[in-house]
Amino acid sequence: MTNTKEVVKGEEVTLTIEPGMNILEVNRQLAEKNRELLRKHKVKAIDIMGSIGAGKTSLIEQLVQKLKPKYRIAVFKGDLTTTIDAEHIGRHGVQVLTINTGRECHLDANVVSRAVERISLQDIDLLIIENVGNLICPAEFPLGTDKRVVVVSVTEGPYMILKHPFTFMTADVMVINKKDLAEIMKIDTDQLERQAKDVKPELKVAVTNALTGDGVEELIKALEL
Amino acid sequence: MATQIVENVLEEAKRHDAKKVAEVHLVIGKMTFLGVDQVRFSYGILVKDTIMEDSKLIIKEQDGVIECPSCGFKGAVPIEDDPAYHVPVPSLRCPKCGEAAKIVEGKECTIESIRILKQQEDKNDCKRCC
Repeated sequence: MTNTKEVVKGEEVTLTIEPGMNILEVNRQLAEKNRELLRKHKVKAIDIMGSIGAGKTSLIEQLVQKLKPKYRIAVFKGDLTTTIDAEHIGRHGVQVLTINTGRECHLDANVVSRAVERISLQDIDLLIIENVGNLICPAEFPLGTDKRVVVVSVTEGPYMILKHPFTFMTADVMVINKKDLAEIMKIDTDQLERQAKDVKPELKVAVTNALTGDGVEELIKALEL
Repeated sequence: MATQIVENVLEEAKRHDAKKVAEVHLVIGKMTFLGVDQVRFSYGILVKDTIMEDSKLIIKEQDGVIECPSCGFKGAVPIEDDPAYHVPVPSLRCPKCGEAAKIVEGKECTIESIRILKQQEDKNDCKRCC
């Protein structure tokens, strides 16, 4: 509470309270705390947003395979109820923690900070967080990672950037996945890239096929890993 | 989000022994993902059977403002109105120098103030001495 103004009228007192409380700021502050804690332990962190089926899990599998020799990796996997994807990623011999959100459509800095408490930060150098499959809500809630990645796939049609410009504004790197299907889907990936850069000029872009690993090196470079 | 808004208002109202919450003034930035209609709709449901029932929700929408670290430009978020896009698309490209700008306003979801009603304490109502 910062300021109160009291007006007495008859039997009632009208009190105007100015809490100036920014609800979104609470998450942002928690995200900052996560960032500080991860930096203190020299852990690099990235989080991956994108629609259901965009290829987030497959990309993480590729990243894990390629980065395993260089980093000790842990993966947080946001999922409403299942552990299917966590099992996929776990096959690559890295620590995977599922964050079941139950009903929530996104991860927030609070659930991530609780998950961080459950792992030993001394034993890892890289934390990869996969958000819940959703192109909108996760973008509102920074988690405290160094880089935010948004994955779109060509099968989602040509308009996802124009329809969701705010999501792309919050990302540092965009992945255009399923590049092998671009021609069949009549999608011009260069045009998608231009649209994304119109929305956010400093956005880095990687065009990938997460099943074969094509373009993943480009992504690793964009992530500065 | 609406739950958090209502919870925070109820907490603040309780702290001030409110009998009723009359008004809630909210600022929502246009660069957030919050829809004013949806916030209103959820608010209406959440306040039922609380001291916030019948309260007036006043929402002010805050326009997006960007600032350019390269040339110092500060102003409204530019809208790319390329006919090829079919729709106007907001951009973080500085309209003056073309470099990447940062959002400085429009990311708010702030409870600016609330107005509560309080029963006035009756100073003559002393049961011990009169």
